[in-house]
Amino acid sequence: MDYFRTDWGAMTGHDWVGTILTVVIFFLMLGLYIIVLRPKNRDKFEQQKYIPLDDEEQKDSGEKNG
Amino acid sequence: MDATAAAAEQQKISYERNCEQKYNYDVVRWFAVMAVVYLVVGALVGVWIASQLAWPVFNFDSPYLSFGRLRPVHTNAVIFAFGGSVLMAAAFYSVQRTCGVRLWSDKLAWFTFWGWNLIIVLAVITLPLGMTQGKEYAELEWPIDILIAVVWLSYFFNFMMTLANRKTSHIYVSNWFFLGMMVMITYLHVVNSLAIPVSLFKSYSIFSGVQDAMIQWWWGHNAVGFYLTAGFLGIMYYFVPKQACRPIYSYRLSVIHFWALMFGYVWLGAHHLQYTALPDWTGSLGAAISLAMIIPSWGGAVNGMMTLSGAWDKLRDDYILRFLIMSLAFYAMATFEGPVMSLKTVNALSHYTDWTVGHVHSGALGWVAMVGMGAIYHMIEKTFHIRMASQALMNAHFWAATIGAVIYIVAMWVSGIMQGLMWRAYDEYGTLAYTFAESVEAMHPFYVMRVVGGAIFLFGAVLMLINVALTVRKAMREGTLQQARTAVACA
Repeated sequence: MDYFRTDWGAMTGHDWVGTILTVVIFFLMLGLYIIVLRPKNRDKFEQQKYIPLDDEEQKDSGEKNG
Repeated sequence: MDATAAAAEQQKISYERNCEQKYNYDVVRWFAVMAVVYLVVGALVGVWIASQLAWPVFNFDSPYLSFGRLRPVHTNAVIFAFGGSVLMAAAFYSVQRTCGVRLWSDKLAWFTFWGWNLIIVLAVITLPLGMTQGKEYAELEWPIDILIAVVWLSYFFNFMMTLANRKTSHIYVSNWFFLGMMVMITYLHVVNSLAIPVSLFKSYSIFSGVQDAMIQWWWGHNAVGFYLTAGFLGIMYYFVPKQACRPIYSYRLSVIHFWALMFGYVWLGAHHLQYTALPDWTGSLGAAISLAMIIPSWGGAVNGMMTLSGAWDKLRDDYILRFLIMSLAFYAMATFEGPVMSLKTVNALSHYTDWTVGHVHSGALGWVAMVGMGAIYHMIEKTFHIRMASQALMNAHFWAATIGAVIYIVAMWVSGIMQGLMWRAYDEYGTLAYTFAESVEAMHPFYVMRVVGGAIFLFGAVLMLINVALTVRKAMREGTLQQARTAVACA
């Protein structure tokens, strides 16, 4: 268990910034996984997989960021 | 072919020709053709330096041709000349097609092309002259480093602006992978190359000691992770579905693959420095995250392979698809082997041995080169508006590449494990059982075997160059490119 001991008092400002950023990004990634894997979002994501195959058609319409 | 099928085929040809006017294919064609030239050059130098290790007479007693100077020529040629040209061709090609718009700037695209090729020429001149920063995969001296940053940013900016101009609502996942590579390589290259110049072609890194080592391998492993993995996964996610005429197996899995890769890969570099002055916990963390990375890597490999689910028969006669799918098998293998090698117990045996060289080449020859070659064949056919001149040559290339890569990898596995075992063998008195020279002598047959494997792979690359040259000539002779260009004038 000594291997996992942390001397919190010795943490510098850089250490705290890095730690907080890492933990925040990790939770953002977990949140993203929940959104992506939610059954009700399945069709919304899976319809995008046809984009490379649809490029045979002219793309002159369609709203950006829609 | 019945009338409907013929009409559909005709419509497809007509559409492809219209693409000639809509998109910038010129720069894609040049990058694709130059990639094949650099593949042959890079593999040739690789076979040469492998021969030097087996038969030192191939040094020719010249410092300019010695292993230490030619080895970075080989790595720069295959990674940055071949790999870079493939990535630039593929990113410029697929971003236009998936976004439905022409490249943001043709002039900037040509600046990228000529700038990148100038860098390659400068590398070929300076490295044999011994001008080097001595940093692995970042040997080029500071003026060239600055040029790399400028040219890379031109590529990045053009790609990003093309995405911004897109006519589709969604950015397809291949573009996310390309974008991730561009962001991270900019960051990695700039930080790793920070140096104090003392003359035009000599500089010293601003980092020293163990920090220098950590920065070096933070760059080194992420060059693998973002340039040779994320970038080539971008290629995989566009070209596998396109060549198979089937959508990717799971789009949701591709999104998870992307974010897990982006989050995880940056942690791995420390596993290159086990048992060094680097704090012990750093190497352990690198190894732990390496193991975790098996999950997204295998998820991506399975995603690519399962795209062929229900249509495996396509592999029987579609040689381009064979390259793409075989590359995924090697990708899965290399991304399992790497994390295992990062574990301290395994690393104690494998580090500094030829096992590492074998692992690198299972990724380089099996994954990067195979998926890159498949993409090049696809782009040559699409942008020259003609099928490859010889399907037989393409088939022969596939088998030469596969067999050559396997022979190379097996030779290095055997040699590396034998090396590791010999180096740490003790006799009953606690002294080393073998001298270093004895371990070198024992490796000789496997060094010869590596030359054979590399030569077979090189032979395949030469077949590809011949086939591409024949195809370009055929396109000129039959006027397919000219007809497509005429459509530009009529449009």
